[in-house]
Amino acid sequence: MRGGVLPPALLFAALGLALAFAPARARAWGLVSLMVTLAALSFVPVSHGWLETAFLGCWVSVAVTAAAVHIPQGTRMAGALVLSVNAGIWASVVVALSGTRLDLVEAVPCALLVLPASWLVAKRASIAVKVASSWLIAIAMLAAVLPFLAVTPGYLPDHLE
Amino acid sequence: MNRGRVTLLIATMGFVALLGGQADAHTGTGLPGGFASGFRHPFSGLDHLLAMVSVGLWGAFLGRPLIYLLPVIFPTVMAGGAVLAMIGLRLPPVEIGIALSVLVLGACIALAVKAPVWVASLIVATFALFHGYAHGMELPSAADPVGYSVGFVLATGLLHVLGIGIGTLNARPGGLVVTRSAGGLIAVTGAWFLYTAVVR
Repeated sequence: MRGGVLPPALLFAALGLALAFAPARARAWGLVSLMVTLAALSFVPVSHGWLETAFLGCWVSVAVTAAAVHIPQGTRMAGALVLSVNAGIWASVVVALSGTRLDLVEAVPCALLVLPASWLVAKRASIAVKVASSWLIAIAMLAAVLPFLAVTPGYLPDHLE
Repeated sequence: MNRGRVTLLIATMGFVALLGGQADAHTGTGLPGGFASGFRHPFSGLDHLLAMVSVGLWGAFLGRPLIYLLPVIFPTVMAGGAVLAMIGLRLPPVEIGIALSVLVLGACIALAVKAPVWVASLIVATFALFHGYAHGMELPSAADPVGYSVGFVLATGLLHVLGIGIGTLNARPGGLVVTRSAGGLIAVTGAWFLYTAVVR
């Protein structure tokens, strides 16, 4: 098992943390563009041949989006929109291939992490947000490389099954 | 810090200590589960648990920027170590590396070593590689590797936060003695781990 709610939830959580460093206007437009992207792509059929690419794109996006918290001046409007649309695309594709629309609905609230995270940034406690984002980067690194290794991931049948 | 918060801190430490099992870390695999197995894993060995708390505690000693840099570096390099294990690259005996991490980090706290940023980062990154390697050997067999990763990275991060929390005692009268003594105890425990790892 590797699909379901977790990959989009982690991607939206990373987006929430990244948007916390953006101005309030960029934050709002970022969330709006995320919702528009999800709505636009949730009914688009995706070929099953894209499965591995979809997961790789999702995990790379989690790492890149989480790393955006380290941009010195914070994410600006253009950056916020790009990250949000990108998150919407990869989350939609992953869920279309290995989940249900309900997974997407359950994952979306993770983007609301932007609220406590931006409060922490405003209170000069952005350290906590940066530490949490490093956890997401670590998880994404592990999940991204697993399919390329010469081991049998637990979600696939091995020689004993 | 008021008495209530100190009591809460001690109760939390006691709870975490109860979760710790035998001295040998990384027993068992995450085969049956995902998040829960991964979250439990860092608590299943005292050596890993002490090293994680020590990273946070030493960071608290060193202050900015290392107080947040060390907990950022550790999980990232730990993930790299896990990847090395999964591709089958051989490292020097991992148990010795992990035991050394407890010994060295404990000693750094006990001696209140004020290392430069790059030295502290290098020390913590090197030890993170060993801890990640130990985790990585078990990760692929987890039925839900993503859930497992989320669990163990989160637990590791929370242990760092616990260490930083204990480090706040430094600001209290007599707190420095308490935290440095704790570092001394950690170092002695690390020396014992090293002895058992070498003799075995």
